[in-house]
Amino acid sequence: MTDKIIIKIENLAKTYKIGDFKVRALRGVDLQINEGEFVAVMGPSGSGKSTLMNMIGCLDIPDSGKYFIESIDVSKLNDNQLAEIRNKKVGFVFQTFNLLARLSTFQNVELPTIYTRIKIKNKNKRIHEYIESVGLKNKEKNKPSELSGGERQRVAIARALINNPTIILADEPTGNLDSRTGEEIMAIFQKLNREGKTIILVTHELEIALHTNKIIYLRDGLIIKEEIIENPSSAEEILLKMPNLEDRISAAN
Amino acid sequence: MRTFSENIKIAFQSLFLNKLRSVLTMLGIIIGVGAVVAVMSIGAGAQDSVIKSIQGIGSNLVIIMPGDSQRDMGPMNQFSSSGKESLKLQDIEAIQKYAKHIEGVMPLILSAAPVVYMNKGSNVSIYATSESAVSVYNFEIDTGKFFSKSDVGNSANVAVLGKTIREKLFGTDDPVGKSIKIMGKNFKVIGTIKSKGTNTFGQDQDNTIAIPITTAMNKLYGQNYLNLIMAKTGTEKEMAIASEEITRILKKQHGIKADEKNDFSIQSQTEILNTLSAVTNIFTIAISSIAAISLLVGGIGIMNIMLVSVTERTREIGIRKAIGAKNKDILTQFLTESVVLSLTGGLMGIVFAYIISILLNKYSPISTSISISSILLAISFSTFVGLFFGIYPAMSAAKLNPIEALRHE
Repeated sequence: MTDKIIIKIENLAKTYKIGDFKVRALRGVDLQINEGEFVAVMGPSGSGKSTLMNMIGCLDIPDSGKYFIESIDVSKLNDNQLAEIRNKKVGFVFQTFNLLARLSTFQNVELPTIYTRIKIKNKNKRIHEYIESVGLKNKEKNKPSELSGGERQRVAIARALINNPTIILADEPTGNLDSRTGEEIMAIFQKLNREGKTIILVTHELEIALHTNKIIYLRDGLIIKEEIIENPSSAEEILLKMPNLEDRISAAN
Repeated sequence: MRTFSENIKIAFQSLFLNKLRSVLTMLGIIIGVGAVVAVMSIGAGAQDSVIKSIQGIGSNLVIIMPGDSQRDMGPMNQFSSSGKESLKLQDIEAIQKYAKHIEGVMPLILSAAPVVYMNKGSNVSIYATSESAVSVYNFEIDTGKFFSKSDVGNSANVAVLGKTIREKLFGTDDPVGKSIKIMGKNFKVIGTIKSKGTNTFGQDQDNTIAIPITTAMNKLYGQNYLNLIMAKTGTEKEMAIASEEITRILKKQHGIKADEKNDFSIQSQTEILNTLSAVTNIFTIAISSIAAISLLVGGIGIMNIMLVSVTERTREIGIRKAIGAKNKDILTQFLTESVVLSLTGGLMGIVFAYIISILLNKYSPISTSISISSILLAISFSTFVGLFFGIYPAMSAAKLNPIEALRHE
């Protein structure tokens, strides 16, 4: 973690209209995230964590307050500029993976580069490297339907990394995975964080949140607590202690 | 930025994903383009045969018809019988005597009649004309000879046979010297003429018999007027002068004053050609327009399917936008798909029309000719349909909110 401020949020507010009802999803959130932090955002449903993620990810702009990503004032940007920021500075990892079913692993990871205006040197080489770094070297030509849940999420992570974004935003990345696979994914995140990547993760599972350095608690559109985690759980260690599926089955018999 | 060719590749992938759906969607365009191009090729073929057949008669022709030129149009007029009796044999003599810029002039009465030889019979077109027909009308003698000036003077019962009727009545034998019956009267065959082919109006020009005009007027029809006068000039330039000369001569013959309306009309071959050409053109455009309606329907089909496609792929659009696709990237992607759809349909329609026109050319009397311009027109129309009917679905795709789109099923 460095002193460089990556994300600065001041008094952020956002209200949604659902039918005739107005929902004040965020009521004035202040937040600062430095480079290299690994932050978890927790809260019950309706706390506003999805909205906060959408703001941070530049999928939407706030009604009031300020959001700076690397000193860029997001509230002043138009749709096209937001899209550019999403392309270059944000890497999304979703709970439901959100890969394009008709594309292969390679093509899925390649996708963000297609929308990048500037030409990327040695693009293909880089794609191969990222796919290898998440351990899917032999699955480059497979379509998502031919991959397991864990493998799909790895493809999503490689896709999120391909344009070397400033932040990785993960929305319940282990939600659709079993506990072992979930730990494997957390291991990847922790490795990325050790390499200097800033990662923000939304989860409702405390066990997962304890893998991070800081947990931010949201309730009713406001941050109620920020907790520093002195000794985050190490996914690698947990994996070593975790019995294999085969062992578990034979133990049950 | 996604390149043009990448967009095309993605569009084709979408097309192939559901082949049946794509084909059904394209069907409207295929039929529309196919029909329009086929009709245009028939029209062009008709245009070509108009030109060919009139040039086949003989170039540099001036055609004089009885009656007011305002109402009449082309050689079709000769079949109407509303008292158009202003042209007489004496007119031919006068023109021959006084017109200086013509090479030859011939009278013509054209009708149909039954002809019999032994036990064989048929209906033929009878060209009642003078000996000048050889030069003016380009009748080329095959065997025997054409009738002479004296034959005309004597109202001789002589006949010259065209190829079709000759083969029909005599097979491979030479009919010269034989006797046939036309409208029950005996005629001696003195010659045969070479093939002239089928003219614009579907008439087999070889299913004809030429007889002296005087014989027809006096012995067969009992009429003293002509249907048509044709005069041939040396060069095209002389046609205007020749027309003027003939007009003056005929006015004098018929006793018409300078300011009175003529009881005849005079047209050059070019003018007739242009009129027929224009008529064919109008027919072609009219029928093509009707065929183009199926293009419209095809376009609506494309718009429909694209809208369905956008709805089906809402999630995908959300993902692309989240990853950095701009509104115009999504717009371009879907617009390319609809253009690829319509253009592919258009190309298939052109192939379809091509096959039809080859078949028509080979197995029917209708002649066709596909031109480059009609193909280009079809291609640009297909592209336009794809753009026009694809823009609305593409725009609704582009405007999708990424957050909502991602939540979609």
